[in-house]
Amino acid sequence: MIPFDFDYYKPDTLLEAIDLFQDLSEQGKMPMYYGGGTEIISMARANSIYTGAVIDIKGIPECCEFGFSGSNLVIGSAITLTKIVESGLFPMLGITIGRIADHTIQGKITLGGNLAGTVIYRESVLPLLISESQVVIAGNYGTRQAPISELFDGRMRREPGELIVKLIIDSTYTNLPFFHRKTTKIDKIDYPLVTVVAMKKDDRILAGFSGLCDHPFRSIEMEDSLNEKGLTREVRIKNAMSHIPAPVQEDIHGSGNYRRFVLNNILMDVLKM
Amino acid sequence: MTAIGKDVPRKEALDKVTGAVKYNDDINEPGLLHVKMATSTCAHGIIKSIDVLSAWNVPGVRAVVTGDYLPVMTGSVIKDRPPIAINKVRYYGEPVAIVVADTEHEAQKAANSIKIEYSPLPMVKSPKEALVKGAPLVHEKLGEYKKAIDDVYPAAGTNVADHSKIRKGDMDKGWSECDVIVEGEYTMPKSDHIAMETRNVRVKIDPDGKVYVSSSTQCPHGIKDTLATVFSLNEGDIIVNAPLVGGAFGGKAPVNLEFIAYIASRAVGGRQVKLANTREEDIATSPTKIGLEAKVKLGATRDGILKALELKYFVDAGAYSDTAPRMAKTMASNGTGPYNVENVFCDALCLYTNNPYSTSFRGFGNMGHTFCMERTLDKLAVALNMSPFDLRLKNAISPGKGHTSATQVKITKSNTGDLAKCIYKINELIKLDDDLRVEVAKDKVIARGMSCIWKTSASNTDAISGAIIVFNKDGSLNLIVGVMEIGSGVKTGLAQILADKMNMEVDQIHVQMPVNTESSPKHWKTVASMSTVMAGRAVLSAADDAIRQIKDLGSIVLRVDPSQLEIGGGKVYMRSDPDNYVEFKDMVHGFKFRGGNSIGGQIIGKGTYIMENLTILDRETGKGRMGPAWTVGVQAVEVEYNTKDHTYKLVKAATVMDIGKIVNPKTAKGVVMGGMSMGLGLGSREGFLYGSNGGILNDSLRTYKVMRFGEQPDYMVEFIETPAEDGPYGARGLGEHGILGMPAALANALTRATGVELDQVPIDAELIWQLKTGGYV
Repeated sequence: MIPFDFDYYKPDTLLEAIDLFQDLSEQGKMPMYYGGGTEIISMARANSIYTGAVIDIKGIPECCEFGFSGSNLVIGSAITLTKIVESGLFPMLGITIGRIADHTIQGKITLGGNLAGTVIYRESVLPLLISESQVVIAGNYGTRQAPISELFDGRMRREPGELIVKLIIDSTYTNLPFFHRKTTKIDKIDYPLVTVVAMKKDDRILAGFSGLCDHPFRSIEMEDSLNEKGLTREVRIKNAMSHIPAPVQEDIHGSGNYRRFVLNNILMDVLKM
Repeated sequence: MTAIGKDVPRKEALDKVTGAVKYNDDINEPGLLHVKMATSTCAHGIIKSIDVLSAWNVPGVRAVVTGDYLPVMTGSVIKDRPPIAINKVRYYGEPVAIVVADTEHEAQKAANSIKIEYSPLPMVKSPKEALVKGAPLVHEKLGEYKKAIDDVYPAAGTNVADHSKIRKGDMDKGWSECDVIVEGEYTMPKSDHIAMETRNVRVKIDPDGKVYVSSSTQCPHGIKDTLATVFSLNEGDIIVNAPLVGGAFGGKAPVNLEFIAYIASRAVGGRQVKLANTREEDIATSPTKIGLEAKVKLGATRDGILKALELKYFVDAGAYSDTAPRMAKTMASNGTGPYNVENVFCDALCLYTNNPYSTSFRGFGNMGHTFCMERTLDKLAVALNMSPFDLRLKNAISPGKGHTSATQVKITKSNTGDLAKCIYKINELIKLDDDLRVEVAKDKVIARGMSCIWKTSASNTDAISGAIIVFNKDGSLNLIVGVMEIGSGVKTGLAQILADKMNMEVDQIHVQMPVNTESSPKHWKTVASMSTVMAGRAVLSAADDAIRQIKDLGSIVLRVDPSQLEIGGGKVYMRSDPDNYVEFKDMVHGFKFRGGNSIGGQIIGKGTYIMENLTILDRETGKGRMGPAWTVGVQAVEVEYNTKDHTYKLVKAATVMDIGKIVNPKTAKGVVMGGMSMGLGLGSREGFLYGSNGGILNDSLRTYKVMRFGEQPDYMVEFIETPAEDGPYGARGLGEHGILGMPAALANALTRATGVELDQVPIDAELIWQLKTGGYV
């Protein structure tokens, strides 16, 4: 039960959605774009967020694109995790997001929602970061496209009112050898202690991390250390771990030192790729 | 034709699996108002001010109520708890104000807007802290509280709600006979019941003073008694209706939300109100499982005979005592486990803290003492260089050897059953008399652990049950009992007992599923694994009563002495000539002769039961008989442990229990498996974690983890049948027992696997890693 009233809009076009957002903002409605709703509903129920209006983007054709287009894989922001998993079009992404929440919820969570949400893990970003995806964003100027590495610094940086429309992935990345490991405190269905997604491209290991710090990230410094030929695995991992870009998380899922222990074990397996 | 021992499907099964069943929260009537609570964000503090003005301004609000509106004190042992806080809060999540509104969301919006200011007081966060000299007092006026029972001993000026003692034998002599002594310290956190259906209740008060309560409860009659006492009402004016319950596990045994809902209805002129917990409220505001800190010292002779046992239990009751003192007492009186120990010394302190308060939880404290004793036995086995299997077998409590319990009750075959038989039997399911730790691959170890269990009830010494049998015109029977169907299949079991006694098909027995205090005979509470035993006895007595009436009437119609008659297949017939009979359908609503004149009237069977021969325990020695027969058993767990990352998998789990008589094999196995699953959850993942403000950090199912389907081991359950002479058909209680030894068996298996002493639960990979490495990388 949500203890406040809010309006619901379902626009048919991007332009309509962007205009609505602006109008509703001016009316003080504090609007939110709405994909699967899992986060908005659960946080509104817990009184952690407030909105006076939601703008459902599932009726916007660009947000619902899904499939190969030329040499790219295009995934609209309103595509659900289940749809991506079941399509098998991008196994690394499919396996990663197949471990977000549980099966029922995966049928609701959208790719855009997972990327833009406030839950800190956003594991779907890991394959997108290491496959150097492009993001299409819409605003009152029209649309713009940028590499995800430019927009994502732990969260998807957007101006107020900007909407994530779709992700574009170079299809050569969809078939490369990859590694995925999600570790949790104990349950299969839980937030990650540490999730590592890695890929081997041109004999170089690319890796992204979630759960380790208070935001998911890809670190070129860590990758450089992991790829430093001529050193033992132990030393490469030690060097990589000295480049963790932010404090390691300490919370109810695990202590910082335990997360380091877990990461160390996972990286040993990553290096066996 | 006996229905006993058959896998009769639950009578409510089809409605449940198709979703047709209406649980209490599914029912909404026109005009219903909704109640929401504003709860404390301070774990211990004086309430400085409550600003309810903004709540009144929310549209749809009908009443805003604080603790001073109807100040009452509640508690089934010590009357220490106001349903809505007065002057002071004692735990984070305690109700401080309530709002009644037209809709649920209006009530919530208004409750959220209430501003409460506190002057924080220092918190008492653990039993250890509660006992520190000069510790803050959770209840400054503990000495002034009224007691609901005689045998509880709160200590004014302290945080001690009760102190239970066991003094059996001669400790000095006992210790002097020991060659080996081991000690252990154990902790188990507070945790939640996590019933699927959160607690919820509706109340209305009619102009004539009748109070109608509909609740998801284990004790409809208890609600009636308690509301009458607390609010000075006539008991006969209170009518409690209780439909099928969607899980309870002890959490719905106390009267809890009913107090608040009654106050709320009063505040809106008696209109019907509904109060339904969110999951978060069910965890953080309503009562939880007790926490435990314990110290155990156990000594034995060189050949493994237990000689002396010292137990110290420090029970974390939380902010209010509820039934926690009874659970502490249960631990003291059963703390030996099912083993003969001649010399026992135990102090069980039930302590107030600023954690959420506690109530009954499946096992009623018996899981706590089992964990402590069974972990200590494994330590002793190591010290003695003896197999844990042999050590347990050697000391198994048994009849005919002069064995007595810690409360000095003589052990008989009837009151205890056959533990040794259970131990031999489980060895066929999970090999325990062999190597208990095997390295099966690089980084992989298989290990096994075991735990014996026992439990009797800790019910009131005068707990009662009753049964009424009425008949339909077609000769079938309606059975009405006060027992709640909380998921154990008890009502189907009672139908089987009645069908057997009447020598007819079980589908001819209709059992009333909801309980209504106006028409259902009183059953004390659906707790303590005693429903089949107590209500079963009442059903047998009601059947005897009906049979006597049937035979009396039959003797007139058939013109023979009643002693010459038998019943079966819905008929009463002559033993000497079964073809000479009268069908039930022709007599249960009176027998009509050919000419039209009739005799007999309708047949109504009534039966009652009261617990017999129970005593309150002596304050100084603990001597006395707390419960009827024990149910004994043994459990084992097999784990696969990864030596590299310290994770583990649950591979197998087994239980063998002596349940006296198997009424319904599949239902019995299902109930035991459910208990095992809960026990493994507590052993591996469940437990509250607190923030610095005293609030529970894992108060939702996102973060509070229970065993999910797919994570369970291969469950195996077998039974032994040593009849309890006073149970129906010899049956013993079994409802709770599956949970009791699982945390201990798991910890014993993992201690063996890892080589570190795991003396606390829950046990996850990080705990093992910490103990093995000191927590450094």
